Amino acid sequence: MNPMLQWLEECGDSFYRAFIEKDRYLAYFRGFRTTLILSLFAVLLGVGIGLILALIKYMANHMKKGVILRVLNWIANIYIAIIRGTPVYVQLLIIYFIIFAQLDASPIVAGVICFGINSSAYVAEVIRAGIEAVDGGQMEAGRSLGLGWGQTMISIILPQAIKNILPALGNEFITLIKETAIVGTIAVLDVTKAAQNVGVITYEYLPPLLITAAMYLVVVIILTKLLGIFERRLAQSDRR
Amino acid sequence: MIDVKGLCKSFGDNHVLRNIDEHIEKGEKVVIVGPSGSGKSTFLRCLNLLERPTAGTITFEGQDITSARAKEVNKIRQKMGMVFQHFNLFNHLTIIDNITLAPVKLKLMSKEEAEKKAMELLRRVGLEDKAMAYPAQLSGGQKQRIAIVRSLAMNPDVMLFDEPTSALDPEMVGEVLDLMKQLADSGMTMVVVTHEMGFAREVGSRVLFMADGHILEQNTPEEFFNHPKNDRLKDFLSKVL
Repeated sequence: MNPMLQWLEECGDSFYRAFIEKDRYLAYFRGFRTTLILSLFAVLLGVGIGLILALIKYMANHMKKGVILRVLNWIANIYIAIIRGTPVYVQLLIIYFIIFAQLDASPIVAGVICFGINSSAYVAEVIRAGIEAVDGGQMEAGRSLGLGWGQTMISIILPQAIKNILPALGNEFITLIKETAIVGTIAVLDVTKAAQNVGVITYEYLPPLLITAAMYLVVVIILTKLLGIFERRLAQSDRR
Repeated sequence: MIDVKGLCKSFGDNHVLRNIDEHIEKGEKVVIVGPSGSGKSTFLRCLNLLERPTAGTITFEGQDITSARAKEVNKIRQKMGMVFQHFNLFNHLTIIDNITLAPVKLKLMSKEEAEKKAMELLRRVGLEDKAMAYPAQLSGGQKQRIAIVRSLAMNPDVMLFDEPTSALDPEMVGEVLDLMKQLADSGMTMVVVTHEMGFAREVGSRVLFMADGHILEQNTPEEFFNHPKNDRLKDFLSKVL
């Protein structure tokens, strides 16, 4: 038999055992669903915390600094420095042992909190830059009409800043999907962990990992394309 | 109506306003002219506290606004309309929403009332067909007229104009000045920082000359332009007239 053909056949068999046999593909899809849910909630949490951090830093830059604002800004800076200055893997383990040891919560919750907190430090900069990019005259116009700082921020500045922020948040989501691959460490059954489990059962480690890699790649490419379309849409409303 | 006493403003070592005393009566049209960097815009921006004075007091309708709390300052600003050099329309909102946003958010009018009032004002300036347009679709002159309407929708007692025609193409200056003249004729109290000497002469009830953070001379337009006394003013007028 042709060695080439033989190799291909072996590959086919491997793939069959890794993906089709005993409905193993279900494990991958279930894992990938976990990956996506984890990433989505982590981004949402990251946006929540990031927005607060961004507003603190924006206020500290643009307003008369009171004692409270100074302290908050100082805390925000330390928070961001720590989060950005330590590996996410170490953060994951620390948070897992804090939350899981204390509360006995689902490891997925620990994962969401860890990646949410990690993401918030980066998202904070994205949002702050998005707000800074809105012309300063907009705030002055709002205030000159008698609107308060918060009212102007909510009805005038943030709606315009969102255009600058959303595409970058989409990128953050895509990055996060890949970063969560380490979440198996704390016993979350994501797609990477699912692949490892299949490998353990079939004694063939490479095929499941290649399948997983392909799944990440396909989803990331699709999301990147969608983001590109979305960005072009946003730009369109500027031209008019 | 507005009483300014000992107003100083400095940015670090840069003393922009030096001890200014000024009184503006209801119904007056005060026009402020002077070379750039003389502090005229800063003076105007101090009047509604967009700039915080370093020293001195500003009294508006009997209330000391320099010592007012943030909430009261917001209330005071509702009574002081401001028009900016760069219009500062809210780019994400339609024209009608630009006009109605503040009155509705501040619960001064219901949405219906505000929209009715906005359409009335838009008709007055001949832009009612732009109600559903976005600022990006308008010309500079149209934008500035909308910005004036937006301020008027708050029923202000005084209107502050910060170089309202400086960012406009020359052919659009006229339409904005015409609207300001109409406004002056209707009895509105106005404080106008401008380089339009024709406007100062025609509409102003009093003209102020500012340089180096001082008000060096003020007079009726007639006297101001025909018989200037201060040397700096003579020099300034010889360059701009």
